Amino acid sequence: MRSTADLPARGRRWFSTAIALLAALLLSGCATQSARLQDARPEGLPVRSELVDTPFFPDDSHFCGPAALATSLSAVGLATTPEALIGQVFLPGREGSLQVEMLAGARRQGAVATRIPGTLEALMRETAAGNPVVVLQNLGLSWAPSWHYAVVVGYDLDTGEMLLRSGPVKRETISLRTFEHTWNRSERWAFVALPPGRLPVTASESEAARALVQFERNAPAAKAAEAYRGGLARWPANAVLAMGLGNSLHASGDLAGAEAVFRHTAKTHGLAAAYNNQALVLLELGRHAEARRAAERGLKVAGPLRQTLLETLGTIEKAAATD
Amino acid sequence: MNRFQQFLAVILSMSLINATILVPVAHAGMVTTQEVATVVATGQAESGQARLAAALARDEVRTEMERQGVDPAMAIERIAALTDEEAARLADQIDTAPAGGIIGAILLVFFVLLLTDILGLTKVFPFTRSVR
Repeated sequence: MRSTADLPARGRRWFSTAIALLAALLLSGCATQSARLQDARPEGLPVRSELVDTPFFPDDSHFCGPAALATSLSAVGLATTPEALIGQVFLPGREGSLQVEMLAGARRQGAVATRIPGTLEALMRETAAGNPVVVLQNLGLSWAPSWHYAVVVGYDLDTGEMLLRSGPVKRETISLRTFEHTWNRSERWAFVALPPGRLPVTASESEAARALVQFERNAPAAKAAEAYRGGLARWPANAVLAMGLGNSLHASGDLAGAEAVFRHTAKTHGLAAAYNNQALVLLELGRHAEARRAAERGLKVAGPLRQTLLETLGTIEKAAATD
Repeated sequence: MNRFQQFLAVILSMSLINATILVPVAHAGMVTTQEVATVVATGQAESGQARLAAALARDEVRTEMERQGVDPAMAIERIAALTDEEAARLADQIDTAPAGGIIGAILLVFFVLLLTDILGLTKVFPFTRSVR
């Protein structure tokens, strides 16, 4: 049996627990970016920007993933609908869409999907440059999550608001501070999907390279080559992008073009992989002596690719012997 | 695992290796861009072991997707769209990774979320307006 004296004590304990919980909630994670942004506005960033023509696919069930993806793709000229994407990115058992599949789904529609830095400024710069951004938010709390995809289409630094296509709301205005809280909980996950040849303005070199290599995997070779050219225009010294261009040209049947790219890459980067691929393309072109020279040069710098270069040299010698 | 299951697993993984590794390498000997990226990043060539692990991860994800209600034919296409790295990550986290799509919260935390919504820390309910 409960004694009456217990009750106030219990009540007090409950109350202090509630206060502690509330304090923990309030103190966990501050919206530092939004405060900073409004104190000192970044240089060259317009005060406001809004991509008003971004299409809207309302959703009030579990399909915010397909809806956000269709919104971002249709906005950049890769027209599609959420219905067409449900089978590609929605996971019925989880009643939602996973981040990995959102990126893969964008690629399947012919877009290069690039992760961008997790800053409010990056989101703003992208929309100012005309690129809508897909973001993952946790609208709830870390221990009571409500994961949600939305598309950032603009912002207003004067009113301190982010503008989104979000679920059933065509033009959601959400305070920068609240948006930052919901976005922090997804570790500020965001990506921009663009047709091959274009890349998000805020993308880092490594993220862009990663996105392009991922795109090449399932894209038609000519599209992959176009995408790599776009990357090389911004980062001409990137060896991975150069190799990607060479490989895509080769896969699209442009042997002369591929050879030229591999030759240039081998020379500027001293890259064993470039020598190896150049040698094999030269072999395909029937230029055996040059092929052997390239493979031999590659072997000198082969490092971990030694086995590959030895095999290539073997292939060349076999082909030369049968001639 | 009994003997038969082990045997089956080996056969299945062999068929997977055939399907996912040998086919894309149409031009034997060419170093793929993915391999170049791996060498540049790690200083090491891709090992056969890593490829085997990736193939097994794909199979695992496919099984899991079907269990989660994805049509088998669709699941195969979805697996094909993933990179090795993505497939490996999904194999680990398909049950736990954030799945964007859930609007609404359970009743137990309704009031907490209502309060945090009003404080502008969360945005669960469309009818709330943050105080600031």
